[in-house]
Amino acid sequence: MPTEAEDSEPVSWQSDSGVSADVTRGERLSELFEERVRKPAIVAWADRRTRVGLSILAVYVGMAIVAVFDLYRAPSTNQAPQLVGPFESWSHPLGTTMSGVDLLSLIIHSTPDILLMIIAGSVWATGVAVVVGTLAGYKGGATDRVLMSISDVVMAIPGLPLVIILAVTFNPQNPIVLGILININYWAGLGRSLRSQVLTIREDSYVEASRTMGVGTPRIILKDIVPNLMPYVTVNFVFAARYVVFASIGLFFLGVLPYSVQNWGVTLNYAYNGGALFTWEAAHWLLFPMIAIMGLSLALILLGQGMDRVFNPRVRTRLAESSESTRETDDATEGY
Amino acid sequence: MTTTSDRLHRAGDGVSDPILEVKNASVTYDDGDTYVLDDVTFSIERNEILGVVGESGSGKSMLASALLDAIPAPGHLSGEVLYHPDPDTTVDVLEFSDAELNEFRWAEVSMVFQGAMSSFNPTMKVGAHFEDTLKAHDRSVPEGLEFAREILSDLYLDPDRVLDSYPHELSGGMQQRALIALSLLLEPEVLVMDEPTAALDLLMQRSILLLLEDIKEKYDVTMVFITHDLPLVASLADRMAVMYAFELVEAGPRDQLINDSSHPYTRALLNSTPNIDAPLEDMRPIPGKSPAPVNVPAGCSYADRCPLATETCRESDPAFEPVEAGHTVACHHWERAAEAIELTFGEAAAVGGDAEGDPQ
Amino acid sequence: MGHYYLRRTARAFVTVFLVTSLSFGLIRLLPGGPFTLLRANLLRQGVPASEVDARIASLQNIQPDAPLWRQYLDYMGAAAQGDFGTSISLDEPVAQIIAEAVPWTVFIVLVSTVLIFVFGILLGAIQAYWEGSRFDQLVSGASITLMSVPFYVVAVLALFVFAYQFGWFPTAGTVGPTVEPGLTMEFVTSALNHAALPIFSYTITGIGGQALAMRGNSIQVLGNDYVEVARLRGLSDRRIATRYVARNAILPLYTGFLLLLGFRLGGTVILEQIFSYPGLGYYMWSALESNDYPLMMGTFLVITVALVIGVYIADLTYGLIDPRISRGETDAY
Repeated sequence: MPTEAEDSEPVSWQSDSGVSADVTRGERLSELFEERVRKPAIVAWADRRTRVGLSILAVYVGMAIVAVFDLYRAPSTNQAPQLVGPFESWSHPLGTTMSGVDLLSLIIHSTPDILLMIIAGSVWATGVAVVVGTLAGYKGGATDRVLMSISDVVMAIPGLPLVIILAVTFNPQNPIVLGILININYWAGLGRSLRSQVLTIREDSYVEASRTMGVGTPRIILKDIVPNLMPYVTVNFVFAARYVVFASIGLFFLGVLPYSVQNWGVTLNYAYNGGALFTWEAAHWLLFPMIAIMGLSLALILLGQGMDRVFNPRVRTRLAESSESTRETDDATEGY
Repeated sequence: MTTTSDRLHRAGDGVSDPILEVKNASVTYDDGDTYVLDDVTFSIERNEILGVVGESGSGKSMLASALLDAIPAPGHLSGEVLYHPDPDTTVDVLEFSDAELNEFRWAEVSMVFQGAMSSFNPTMKVGAHFEDTLKAHDRSVPEGLEFAREILSDLYLDPDRVLDSYPHELSGGMQQRALIALSLLLEPEVLVMDEPTAALDLLMQRSILLLLEDIKEKYDVTMVFITHDLPLVASLADRMAVMYAFELVEAGPRDQLINDSSHPYTRALLNSTPNIDAPLEDMRPIPGKSPAPVNVPAGCSYADRCPLATETCRESDPAFEPVEAGHTVACHHWERAAEAIELTFGEAAAVGGDAEGDPQ
Repeated sequence: MGHYYLRRTARAFVTVFLVTSLSFGLIRLLPGGPFTLLRANLLRQGVPASEVDARIASLQNIQPDAPLWRQYLDYMGAAAQGDFGTSISLDEPVAQIIAEAVPWTVFIVLVSTVLIFVFGILLGAIQAYWEGSRFDQLVSGASITLMSVPFYVVAVLALFVFAYQFGWFPTAGTVGPTVEPGLTMEFVTSALNHAALPIFSYTITGIGGQALAMRGNSIQVLGNDYVEVARLRGLSDRRIATRYVARNAILPLYTGFLLLLGFRLGGTVILEQIFSYPGLGYYMWSALESNDYPLMMGTFLVITVALVIGVYIADLTYGLIDPRISRGETDAY
């Protein structure tokens, strides 16, 4: 009805705030699926960046599969002539290193561990952040103060040096442990921003309704709060992944992390120390691992950007601005 | 000038000394494919309060922006907006140069937006907004601020506190009143208000309305009050205009428009209005949806929802017809509207002013 | 409000205290323990076995045979006075090495981070102003590409091309070997020449992210009612662009600036190693290589303290530049 007091025009059209109190839980769940899973997926796929990002990512997953099932030769020294240039021979398409290792096999066989590391690191970072953020934000009071103080301290420790010291101390070999180690304090900043989101969500009418009906805290957090955080979490999952790529390969390159693990950073390190800096002939030894790194992070960034566009109301609003009047009308009719 | 008065008499809207005249104003988007304001013609009498009513998305905000030639970027405004600073002078607002437009806006015709919070820069003190405005119009800042204090006091605000506060430090009602003061700063002739009270609670709405009447008297401004809330504006306006789907459908003096409404939409709107006295079953939501700007139907745009609609309605757009002096309506079947759609709050509405008590 | 500042200051101290304790704990976990290497070195130098422990104590402020809590107190007490012991590999007081290294690292990180923000903000603002234009698309594409390049990749490439292949820049060091420190023309040019490539590679890879963030913020601010109202009020484009749009768009970047500063301070470990640029990161890495735990922990602590101070200053000043936060937003609930 046009005369309802709430029916003012600036009612935001995104689902985030459009959920009203008088909708039943079942309706809300199906709406939740529609609004948070199906529609975003469609919008995300419509964005070129998401498509390109996913496609590039698929290439890396493909490489990982090739490596895991041993569909391409494993790297070993003197399997080929030394320093063959790239694109010179079919058997070594990307050329070889100083010690006669096929560069393509090096790159392919590094992929599974890197992907594993990325997934472990980002799951860890976002997982801890969600737990800390929702608990602190929803419970408030002493829980909030303690958790946030811890976050503040953790946030103040510079990541890379801490990781280096921890790596030296524990000398981890397992890629999953490595991933977690690299993002050991990444959760703090993310947890803090999630907390402030939870603070807003918990004031929403349906959360308040659940609370008044005596629904337990874990249930409210799981059913009402976490689903609303998912967009933000997904985007940050991707960014955490990118950080793992950057940091891990940097540390492998530096030689802080164990050489026994196959990694583009290790290849880069050998190239750097093996004299590839001094001659153009060995440039490919440096370049191809770099390209592998950049491709993966490009894929992650594109994915993050594409999803950000879906989830970020301000980007979305802007997108839809040219058809604002249409929307205004749709909006108006919702009241009937 | 002769053509102007000719049109006026033909339209029969009863305006004798217009301060603003809008003629055939249309706002289009997407290279003319989408109409968000469709051939609207009306006038504003000097020193009156004109209430414009329409549901959200009916194009009433566009109408407000059109009066200041301030349609948001990709939109295109055509038609005429004539401004009469005095009864013998006419200027076309749409012909202004940028510099002239800058001088015209706020100094001649000023505007209060819906949502006062978003109208202030959050990182600037309220007082700085006043100073910025004065400087932009080459006015004396000390004198202007002195005047600002006077308006703020008239709006029952503490001038020193308000001017020295950041927007977020003020309550919604205080912000809204500060914004009204800001809009009056350059002593405009016309004040356009777009849903100025939508974000406020009923009590605050009520008190701001009362203030507006005093302000209007003291500062001698013409007011255009745009809202979706029919009873609210009915308590304030001298004349009213009803918009539906980007067009004007009915206009006339307040009492006639309420008691003798002739457009089926206006009557339906009155019936859908929550009224604390009326039993719930008497409330009649308007069935159907208002058309989107891309598919405004040929003929009368209300035809799809109108109980009186006939083939004629679907085929030809109704022209404005005079109901009585100053009261015009765009409907083929306005004469049948009164008997076909009974006003559910009937007796209450018969005493025109009573509608104003409704929101409470 | 005073309460907030007080609490904030306390938290900075607590953070430093906790990190120092953490470093003490970590030393104990290091392979071979903290003293094995030192003990071996001293013995090799011919120090009598009976005096070794005393020497260690004088070098590292910790008596190896004292109980743990005693060691802890000694360690913390010394650290509080800025005494991190003596470097095993360089045989110099850690504090002295760090004092010489800090200015270079701060120089590189500060200059490159400021450059990132200046260029990022300018580019992002122009992009937002011409949203959708060719320029916007071009810069957006470039930004995304740059974001996907780790700085060390640019560093290695720059070193390869501009230093080794073309010989335009030195391949190592902070100033030329023969240059005397001082405010001379020669010193300044030499320092800039040595810092050019590290700063370049540290800057170029960061601009993209900031430009995108600034672009997003500006577009959002431009869509706000108050910008439209300011226009109607007749304000000049210039006034609107600076006071209404830029300020509100830059504000959210301020806190990001701090997080970035932290990441970048940490990143110097890789950056300075690539360019053999003897700053904090470089010494941390070389300490790592030679199991020089005192130096390693000293650099780690100093990097942490630098970050804590940075965040502290920013937290305190944020309230000054953003009126909405003036009452300590973190404690609102």
